[in-house]
Amino acid sequence: MAAFLNFSPAGGDQSEGAGRGNPFFRSLLAMLEGFGAIVRKDLRLEVRSGESTVALVSLSILILVVMVLAFGPGGARRAEVAAAALWIALIFAGTLGATRALLAERESGCIRGLLLSPVEPATIYAAKLAVALIFMAEAGVAVLVVLVLFFNLEFGGGLLRLIPVALLGAVGLAALCTLLATISGRVRAGAMLLPVLVVPLFTPALIAGSKASAAVLAGQPLSAVATWLKLLCAFDVLFVAAGYLLFEHVILED
Amino acid sequence: MTEALLQAQRISKFFGDRPVLHGINFTARPGQAAVIVGRNGVGKSTLIRVFCGLARPSAGRLLLFGAEPVHLAAAQFRRLGVLLHQTLLYPNLSARENLEFYAEIYALAEPATHAARWLERVGLQRAADEPVSALSRGMEQRLGIARALLADPDLILLDEPFSALDRDGSAMVAGLIREALARRAAVLFTAHTPLEIEGVDLGLFKLESSGLTPLREEPRRRALRSLLRRRL
Repeated sequence: MAAFLNFSPAGGDQSEGAGRGNPFFRSLLAMLEGFGAIVRKDLRLEVRSGESTVALVSLSILILVVMVLAFGPGGARRAEVAAAALWIALIFAGTLGATRALLAERESGCIRGLLLSPVEPATIYAAKLAVALIFMAEAGVAVLVVLVLFFNLEFGGGLLRLIPVALLGAVGLAALCTLLATISGRVRAGAMLLPVLVVPLFTPALIAGSKASAAVLAGQPLSAVATWLKLLCAFDVLFVAAGYLLFEHVILED
Repeated sequence: MTEALLQAQRISKFFGDRPVLHGINFTARPGQAAVIVGRNGVGKSTLIRVFCGLARPSAGRLLLFGAEPVHLAAAQFRRLGVLLHQTLLYPNLSARENLEFYAEIYALAEPATHAARWLERVGLQRAADEPVSALSRGMEQRLGIARALLADPDLILLDEPFSALDRDGSAMVAGLIREALARRAAVLFTAHTPLEIEGVDLGLFKLESSGLTPLREEPRRRALRSLLRRRL
């Protein structure tokens, strides 16, 4: 994990290295170094405590169990129920994952340490988004395994085709949750407020994601859900761009 | 006249309707040191947060390295070292890991070497691998000061750096301030009561609800002011 996120020139002097090359590459290298350092630090903290992983995976599995008990594992609408369960679990994993990624920074006041560093606020946002996405991916893997077991799905093409759909949805959701968690973290009971803010804004992408998921789980090819995937891509671009541009303004103190 | 590292012009800060800072004027130039004293709750910590660009002033103008903080290039923050009331350290990382992380995001050469050097300078070699949550308040304060000074900043803003420190710790911080001034950094810190640092011409300011009043000015600042008065 540490190796692929380490952008420093091996064994080299970063200060002197930064002086070489053109300004664009210097700033790109600085951005990648800051991004890598923050992601590595967050993952190290998570490996040490395991808090987010345990919370996300257990919550996601719990949601699936409730769905199975409510609707039953079989039936003609099995694919639709499985898709609904997947997206409900992802929504909760997204809000929880984004909150956890920012909570550690807020609780210790360390977000101020990051803001006072030479790392661009947009890079801090990108790192937090990446960490939220990794947390969501953990939950997503657990959900997929439980989906297969509980809904008697087959390990095959349908399940493989579900991965890009879930991934596209997760990127947009993580981007939106990270931005809104930054805003809601500034008010009392902000963690309670987050789902209230996220769900209405994510609803169009949620519809696209759940429709596409139901279709691929029912055995349809990805080309049959191209419209839904394009919509998910559009929302990804929108949410990531909004977060990247607005984070600087919402993270600063009054 | 050397470049002003920090220029505050008629800064005011309100929390809702409650005024905290009023008409603050202050300039920090390379090699200058000043201490701001004031009673509890008068706004010293808020002043440091405004001066470092973390909090926006409600009125007035703040320039850091010649630019407003919102327009300041991120790379310029490498020139700024700040200690706040919180030490900005991760409780679940060790002292060494915290300094290495900050050295990485400041793009310093060989973060591990920097971290080891600063741990030694603040006397925390033996506690290097302890998580911050296990350190005493004084040890955490030492580590916070190491974090703030890690990149040899040009402008150093410290919120009550001597709090929670024993005699050795206070002497260590005084030594670090002297070193910073020797390399032409500007140092501004807050304290509850006026204090002296041996060998340092320390400007003394009192923060009150009416504003920031100079009680004793740093000699170069005093000489400049008297020169201006004579010319006018």
